[in-house]
Amino acid sequence: MQNTTIGPLRLLSNTRLKSLALLGGLLLPMVVSVPNAVASEAREPAEVYRQICAHCHALDKAVGPEITMAFPETAHEAWGNYIRTTVRNGRGAMPSFREAKVSDEELDALIQALMYGEFADTAEEE
Amino acid sequence: MSTAPRILPKGVAEADFDTALGRFREILDADSVLTESDQLAPYTKIMMAGDDADYIPSGALLPTTAEQVQEIARTCNEFKVPIWTISTGKNLGYGSAAPGETGQVILDLHRMNRIINVNPDVCTALIEPGVTYQQLYDYIQEKGYKLWLDPPAPSAIAGPVGNTLDRGVGYTPYGEHFMFQCGMEVVLANGEMVRTGMGGIENSSSWQVFKWGYGPYIDGLFTQSNYGIVTKMGLWLMPEPPAYRPFLIQYQDPEDIEEIVEVLRPLRISQIIPNAVVIVHTLWDAGTHVVRKDYYDGTDSIPREAIERIKRDEGIGEWNVYAALYGTPEQIEVNWNIVEQAFSKSGKAKIMYGEEAEKRGGGFEYRSALMKGDMNLQEFGLYNWRGGGGSMWFAPVSQAKGSETKDQTALAQQILGKYGFDYVAEYIVGWRDMHHVIDLLYNRQDPDETQRAYDCFAELIDEFAKRGYGLYRTNTEFMEQVAGTFGEPLRNVHTALKNALDPNGILSPGKSGIRQ
Ligand SMILES: Cc1cc2nc3c(=O)[nH]c(=O)nc-3n(C[C@H](O)[C@H](O)[C@H](O)COP(=O)(O)OP(=O)(O)OC[C@H]3O[C@@H](n4cnc5c(N)ncnc54)[C@H](O)[C@@H]3O)c2cc1C
Repeated sequence: MQNTTIGPLRLLSNTRLKSLALLGGLLLPMVVSVPNAVASEAREPAEVYRQICAHCHALDKAVGPEITMAFPETAHEAWGNYIRTTVRNGRGAMPSFREAKVSDEELDALIQALMYGEFADTAEEE
Repeated sequence: MSTAPRILPKGVAEADFDTALGRFREILDADSVLTESDQLAPYTKIMMAGDDADYIPSGALLPTTAEQVQEIARTCNEFKVPIWTISTGKNLGYGSAAPGETGQVILDLHRMNRIINVNPDVCTALIEPGVTYQQLYDYIQEKGYKLWLDPPAPSAIAGPVGNTLDRGVGYTPYGEHFMFQCGMEVVLANGEMVRTGMGGIENSSSWQVFKWGYGPYIDGLFTQSNYGIVTKMGLWLMPEPPAYRPFLIQYQDPEDIEEIVEVLRPLRISQIIPNAVVIVHTLWDAGTHVVRKDYYDGTDSIPREAIERIKRDEGIGEWNVYAALYGTPEQIEVNWNIVEQAFSKSGKAKIMYGEEAEKRGGGFEYRSALMKGDMNLQEFGLYNWRGGGGSMWFAPVSQAKGSETKDQTALAQQILGKYGFDYVAEYIVGWRDMHHVIDLLYNRQDPDETQRAYDCFAELIDEFAKRGYGLYRTNTEFMEQVAGTFGEPLRNVHTALKNALDPNGILSPGKSGIRQ
């Protein structure tokens, strides 16, 4: 079987699933079945970085400024706030990224990873 | 605590809005109904020359299923709450993820991100609106399918549904996205759901392969419109060809644009060159990786002398044609000879591929990626050209005829020059049409420059329309003006359809200038 069904799904609570079942009566007969809900998995920081940030901020791209260098601990709070504000509000040419695209949980982990310079090597290789 | 007055949807009483929000919280999880200003901040960043205060949502709803979307539509109808639908919400330079006007509630479908089906035999996909090109790309790679996507330049962060619904374009042979869309599932304003094409037949296996279905074909009604909320869309995927040859042709004289288009048109119409070719002006080709102030510091439009220096120093032509051949190695050799012969006739063209093209100073690497459907955001470098984050796409359509290209280029340069902006432009060559895409780049931090950009854009629309040129798409600030250029009879039909399908005017009021 070559056809496939996949889905990075968000967690649906039991109440949500129940109300969905109730709504089922309203649906057209051939609605594609909703696969069983699975636990939402926040993407790893490296995955978020690869899917979104690296396209502009990797060193060989140089579209956006370098963001992968480690920061001294004294600057962590300020740098973290700066990243959070920039991601959520955008800045100049950089678009804003919504919670629906990068969840708060994913953003927190991304900020941690960036502050400790976890992607510094990756950026250089790229 | 904020003292700013609360933003409400136009014409909706506070108590009704609160009741509607309560209903939304029942339909969705409470944390999927956003009303706090910090949660809504990402929906307020715009690049166009409009007033920030005109584009602030009163809330955002983040459903995960089509059934929730149906319930939301019913609730909106009951309380006359207007919603502005976005999918991946990266309509950058066209209004981004912001509402069409202040007070509308954003219906953000990004969390509806299931890839329902990819069929490697008939080369189709069925996806939800929140799926990004990157997500679909990764999925296809993971499965090992030999299928290509056709992303627009913001590729990784944008998505096929939103892009296709705004009738966007990419750069492979599948570049005209709406042409390669097949079958939709749509939630109407009254909450009913309809499937287009073959989708109404129970257990149809041809929903994603036969576009037309039976009776009037209606998919087009849901593009650049506000007649429904698309919750699933089918699209065709290109089979990976055995061989691929991207190439670059440079011309040095501004007048050469006429020859380029005349030589290209027959090759494009006969599909010798099958992809959405671009003819890129110096300033765009340089602008993706060169900073303006390295060549010119003035605030007026960059002078010819500086453009000539850029061409010389960066190895860029006045016009840079990026195109590609696809097929077996034998087919490519045959077609390459035809292309070479056609472009060699006048002796003006420099024709290159492979290493030679890579070494030129323009965008060969990223263009080659986009022409084979890879993810690449290099084009965002354009925003470093002038800085300040202001951008509006002015994109009039023309026939693929050299005389029209010459006329459009001269007119655009003259109007942009009058307002002190640069001609950062490319032509995207469709089958027999061209989108003349001009990035009106300006410093959005500077109110005077922003006002100039606004005036310039308005004049471009009017002056182009006077010569018979209309836009293929526009940003939310200018939708009304552009709708005016297409004439009253068309507007009347649009309004009649709106009244029939959405009598309370709850879906994306103002989209393409359409209201009930
Ligand atoms: C540097 C740069 C280069 C660009 N290059 C290109 C390019 O090559 N080609 C191109 O086409 N664009 C280009 N763009 C413009 C834009 O970013 C893309 O078109 C992008 O794909 C649109 O955003 P999206 O895919 O997230 O769609 P969205 O923002 O989600 O949707 C676009 C619009 O479609 C409508 N819509 C969305 N979802 C629905 C729905 N489910 N039901 C009903 N209506 C809906 C809405 O009106 C929405 O505003 C470029 C932008 C930048 C900054």
